[in-house]
Amino acid sequence: MLVAEDVHRHFEGMHAVDGVSLEVPRGQITGLIGPNGAGKSTFMAVVAGTLPASSGTILFEGEDITRLPTYRRARRGLVRTFQLPSEFARLTVLENLLVAAPQNRGDSLFGALMGKRFWIKDEERLVTEARGLLKRFGMSAKESDYAGLMSGGQKRLIEIMRALMLHPRCLLLDEPMSGVHPRVIEQIQHYLQSLRADGLTILMVEHELHLVEQLCDSVFVMAQGKLIGSGTMASLRRQREIVDAYLVG
Amino acid sequence: MNTYYAANLLIYAGVDIIAVLALNLQFGVSGIVNFSFIVFQAAGAYAAAVLSMPPHTAAEYSFQVYVGGYQLPFPIPWIGGALAGALLAIPVGLVVLRKLRSDYQAIALLVTSIIANTVINNARPFLNGAAGLALIPQPLQDQVDTYGDSYLYLYIGLTAVCVGLVWFLAARIVNSPYGRTLRAMREHELAATALGKNPVALKMTMFIVGGAIAGLSGAILVGFLTVWAPSTWLYPETIILFAALIVGGRGNNLGAILGALLVPVGFEEVTRLLIRMNIGPPNLIPALEWVAIGLFILGFLWFRPEGVRPEPRRVFEGSPDVEVVDRVRTA
Amino acid sequence: MSIFAAAFGFGLVSMSVIAIAAVGFTMQFGITNMINLAYGQVMISSAYVAYYINRAGITIWVGMIAGAFFGAAFSFLLNRLVYAPFQRKGTSYLGMVIVSLAVSLMIANLLLPIVGYFSVSYSEHAGSLVRLGDIVLTNNQIAIIALSVAVMLGIHALLRYTRLGKAMRATAANPTLARNCGIPTQRVIDMVWLITGALCGLAGVVAALNSDSFVISSGAGFLITALAAAVLGGAGQPYGAMIGAVIIGLVTELSAAAWSPEYKEVVAFGILVLVMVLRPQGLLAKRGALAAAG
Ligand SMILES: Nc1ncnc2c1ncn2[C@@H]1O[C@H](COP(=O)(O)OP(=O)(O)OP(=O)(O)O)[C@@H](O)[C@H]1O
Ligand SMILES: [Mg+2]
Repeated sequence: MLVAEDVHRHFEGMHAVDGVSLEVPRGQITGLIGPNGAGKSTFMAVVAGTLPASSGTILFEGEDITRLPTYRRARRGLVRTFQLPSEFARLTVLENLLVAAPQNRGDSLFGALMGKRFWIKDEERLVTEARGLLKRFGMSAKESDYAGLMSGGQKRLIEIMRALMLHPRCLLLDEPMSGVHPRVIEQIQHYLQSLRADGLTILMVEHELHLVEQLCDSVFVMAQGKLIGSGTMASLRRQREIVDAYLVG
Repeated sequence: MNTYYAANLLIYAGVDIIAVLALNLQFGVSGIVNFSFIVFQAAGAYAAAVLSMPPHTAAEYSFQVYVGGYQLPFPIPWIGGALAGALLAIPVGLVVLRKLRSDYQAIALLVTSIIANTVINNARPFLNGAAGLALIPQPLQDQVDTYGDSYLYLYIGLTAVCVGLVWFLAARIVNSPYGRTLRAMREHELAATALGKNPVALKMTMFIVGGAIAGLSGAILVGFLTVWAPSTWLYPETIILFAALIVGGRGNNLGAILGALLVPVGFEEVTRLLIRMNIGPPNLIPALEWVAIGLFILGFLWFRPEGVRPEPRRVFEGSPDVEVVDRVRTA
Repeated sequence: MSIFAAAFGFGLVSMSVIAIAAVGFTMQFGITNMINLAYGQVMISSAYVAYYINRAGITIWVGMIAGAFFGAAFSFLLNRLVYAPFQRKGTSYLGMVIVSLAVSLMIANLLLPIVGYFSVSYSEHAGSLVRLGDIVLTNNQIAIIALSVAVMLGIHALLRYTRLGKAMRATAANPTLARNCGIPTQRVIDMVWLITGALCGLAGVVAALNSDSFVISSGAGFLITALAAAVLGGAGQPYGAMIGAVIIGLVTELSAAAWSPEYKEVVAFGILVLVMVLRPQGLLAKRGALAAAG
């Protein structure tokens, strides 16, 4: 589904991602763990295209996408979220979701100039869809508030819902649940699992190992820019150096 | 107050409204800090001028040199002005908007504005250099009498039609899903990109649309003034338009109109009034006008950065937050 | 004697002038994150301060020192009274660019009623001619070159060998981290405004001395050449700005000799456009500002 081959990314001599090769299997939730500064976010950024790779190849559904700009990757269904809040602050929560929707006749200069009647059907359909997501994540009451005024956890939810509005085929989540209330985490978990059942592929960075254990089918471990292990969480726990790297890092 | 004075005021107001609406699309909605805005207005003015003037070899025009001189009838010069603004936006946008960080974009455009003025000022054969163009024909001047109140009314009418047209286009863009995408890009470009939006295409489009509208505003202005020179489009003119938008309310078309009436038109009038009342030395007042505009910008950015009429919060029908809906509706 | 040898001589002088201005500008940006578009206006204000001192019969070299002090004080106050409060308020980079442009406009127009519209020049003997092969320079021009070299060496020593310089580099790279490491970033930033302000003032006087005459509107031209050199070298990089100054200084003077002096700034602009298209990060782009120093 998603394959990285010998991906490097350095920042002037600093090797943030140093030769990572891995394959994310289709229809599974895959974890990516490692100590702070291991290069996980950098790797995700390179895969999504928000940072160019210094070298290496990224294949998505069998096609080389290394040179594809970010927005084209997103349109193909490879969508990332950000570790830091990246909400559109002076758009409402609902608008944040609507922006992400790809199929809107009014989302072009031509469509806009054609006027409301040209695009209102699409808009109404998307509003219904977005409200469904908001309801699911318990944020219906906030739909008309500016996203910039939401709490840290709420912003995380916006981040996830926004990505889901694109109907991605592969979702890259960078610490989607940090700072989110345990009950909401549970809801996110259930939802991600139901999406997996529908065939969505997910690669997820997460520090809470028990969440990784519950959710992820398999896990990759990174430290100092390199991939140092992979397997199920249970098998990884038995590997000495991986435990060390995690604790020491 | 005589008719000419009133007409002058109204036409300036119309031109400024058109310009600030365009700047709102670029800066207020899309976040492009187009510090060379006035260059696009100038391009439209020059284009309209050389499209309507006879060749510079014509008897009455031989005191100036310029390219073109096609003597085309109205409304071709105005359309040509808009086209010139749009065409100029393509190369400038391609250089500036593609790779540069947004604050570099702003300074690159500022420098472009200063340099463009220097070049036109010094390159006399192109558009008559520092002296500028004069005797630019007025729209329809071969069909109607241009001396008289009725021509003024006609000109006001033509300007008003353009204001209406631009307002209509701007409103459609701002209130559409496309406008929402532009605002999202303004708020967080990287996130918008990660959601499948192509920021370069969005910015280029708004640069070209804004350039066309700016060009049209220049064409309207030059048809009324009948003269146009580098000294009329120095870079501070762009700052006045920014001041108007910041005061009126970025992202709000009504705010843009309000700002255009308050700042460029208002300041012009106050200055004119003060000069007529002979307060202080004559050079002092225009200088202080600029200082006041600077203070206006700083003051609004400090105390009320969202402007007099802030960008409206979009509340969708059926929002559970009914109270909010009411509050917005009555606001 | 060829016209190009003469142009090369002027190029040496020009690059010396530009280097002082560009290094000040780029350090201001690199360390405080502020694109100060009022820089050109502070330069021209300092040039006028020196002019009034010079007009009272005092040599321009004293005026130059006064200009540097004035530039330092002016820049310091500008930051303390305007820029820093806006930055603290959380105004975006773009907002700050607009603020500085508004300030620039205000300075120019506050100055205008005081100094008038007419161009002025310093009264200072150019000094005797010095021949270096085909290149002929006046004593004053040699003094400008020497001054600039001394300033560049001083900046190098400051960044490389002093605690303040190291603190500046740390602040440029990561202000939060620097503060957490016990560096008094506020004081460092004050010092940066004083030092770069002095460079700015000095550059203004030197630039005015090097041109036949100057007016308020010369400030915009000063800003453009400084900007071009700074961006060419990679914004925020003092050493890059020096290289940028060398290139811009030489190319503009050679083009002036070959073509027309009116287009000096246009040529500088052309270089700027090329850089923006081909290498937007500038010639020396390293991680973080000021990294070239260490
Ligand atoms: N833009 C950048 N410029 C320079 N260095 C960077 C940049 N982004 C990341 N780095 C460096 O790359 C290394 C890896 O960073 P990254 O953000 O990928 O780590 P991470 O595994 O996501 O850590 P965390 O778990 O804390 O989020 C870090 O040492 C960081 O300092
Ligand atoms: Mg991370």
